[in-house]
Amino acid sequence: MASKSPDSVRRARPLLGTFVEIAARGHEARHLERAVEAAFGAIERVHRLMSYQAPDSDVSRLNRADGGAPIAIHPWTYSVLRASLELRVQSMGLFDIAVAPALERHGLLPGSTASSARASPGQQGAVELSANNRARLQVAGSRIDLSGIAKGFAVDQALRVLRDYDVLGGLVNAGGDLAAFGAEDNVIAIRDPRDPTRLLAGAALRDGALASSGLTFDPIISGRSPHCAIIDPRTGTPVTAMSGASVRATSCMVADALTKVVMLAGTAASDVLDAYGASALIVNSRGEVIATTNWQWMHPLAA
Amino acid sequence: MVDWVKMTLPAALAASVPSSDYAVQYLTIERSQKLSFPSATEFSPIDAHAWQVASDGKQAGRYVVDRVIGKHLYIDYAVTLDAAGRVQRVDILQYREAYGGEVRDRGWLGQFVGKSTASPLKVGVDIRNISGATLSCHHITEGVKRIVDRYGQQISR
Repeated sequence: MASKSPDSVRRARPLLGTFVEIAARGHEARHLERAVEAAFGAIERVHRLMSYQAPDSDVSRLNRADGGAPIAIHPWTYSVLRASLELRVQSMGLFDIAVAPALERHGLLPGSTASSARASPGQQGAVELSANNRARLQVAGSRIDLSGIAKGFAVDQALRVLRDYDVLGGLVNAGGDLAAFGAEDNVIAIRDPRDPTRLLAGAALRDGALASSGLTFDPIISGRSPHCAIIDPRTGTPVTAMSGASVRATSCMVADALTKVVMLAGTAASDVLDAYGASALIVNSRGEVIATTNWQWMHPLAA
Repeated sequence: MVDWVKMTLPAALAASVPSSDYAVQYLTIERSQKLSFPSATEFSPIDAHAWQVASDGKQAGRYVVDRVIGKHLYIDYAVTLDAAGRVQRVDILQYREAYGGEVRDRGWLGQFVGKSTASPLKVGVDIRNISGATLSCHHITEGVKRIVDRYGQQISR
């Protein structure tokens, strides 16, 4: 039994450091297979362009160019950089793609720590965009990392491929950052950030995106405790005030990025959520569950 | 302006339930072999987990299945190698989260997915999508490396 009915296909691959699942329905099975394959292709492409580790990615090329003359990058990378800069302004600097050196210091990104101390987080806009899809780092010695936003962008691109294939409905889930379209509700369970082996709440998603941040969890090694991979650009240290956050937005890229802002700002993130028409659910370090009034609850939390 | 509400119930009591028995079968080995090698005419076993694949007498590559297993999760996956031993694709065949297992009753799921949406959801519907703590696929990456070491040599002839 490969899928629940002949006109739906659901596949999963290890990509972007996690499990990416793509489902499509409402067309002939062979067509759905092709659509899902092409959607995985879009995810792989985003991975190649925006990986911090791959030496030939746009991100690595920008970091290696170390300021200097603007270099040509893929239009996808360009649009993620542009969105990142806007998010940085809207979030008063809380979303910042220049936290890479701090992530490295805390062992959350591979790399040498020798030059890490140079980047003073939060001071600059990280990149300067110029015409014809060209960009450069604004400050030599700094480094950018798109891991806080590229996964969501990859989900959006994969979903767009499914739409282009004219399937009736689809869902892309990249390790918990997910987006869907179609006429059917998709039931999403949200993991309890305090204990990833438990579920906290449910959400129904039809058209739109939902992303969560919090602990990174290795379900194979039971002894290792989950760790938080979000850095406060103001202090360069990992977040401790929040255990986890989920954000719903129209695009997964925005939802993905805003989870980091909500993890840092908590309920003070109202304005930026408002600016993007997003809603959020937070579990703070005291174990309190807090949500925006426009969060769409599902039973039983909607008491 | 967005406002916030705090849940009045203690969160621990409110909803946190063990996510037992989340399992998805994505592909059977047979189906996965067909997708990986659509024009293959021959799958000759190398051992219990690996096949040499040929298409009309011409070597096409290898197909290997493996399992990553842990306390909370096990995953069956397949690695497709081309004739030069390069990884062509990695597919998850089956994914299962095997947590505590306290909740076997499908009734809780029906309650969980609730009533707040426009279209009624089927009671007892499977939890098919999970958001939250990112699961690392580190062990699959390691597994693929082991498979390449063992089966990734150039196929002669």
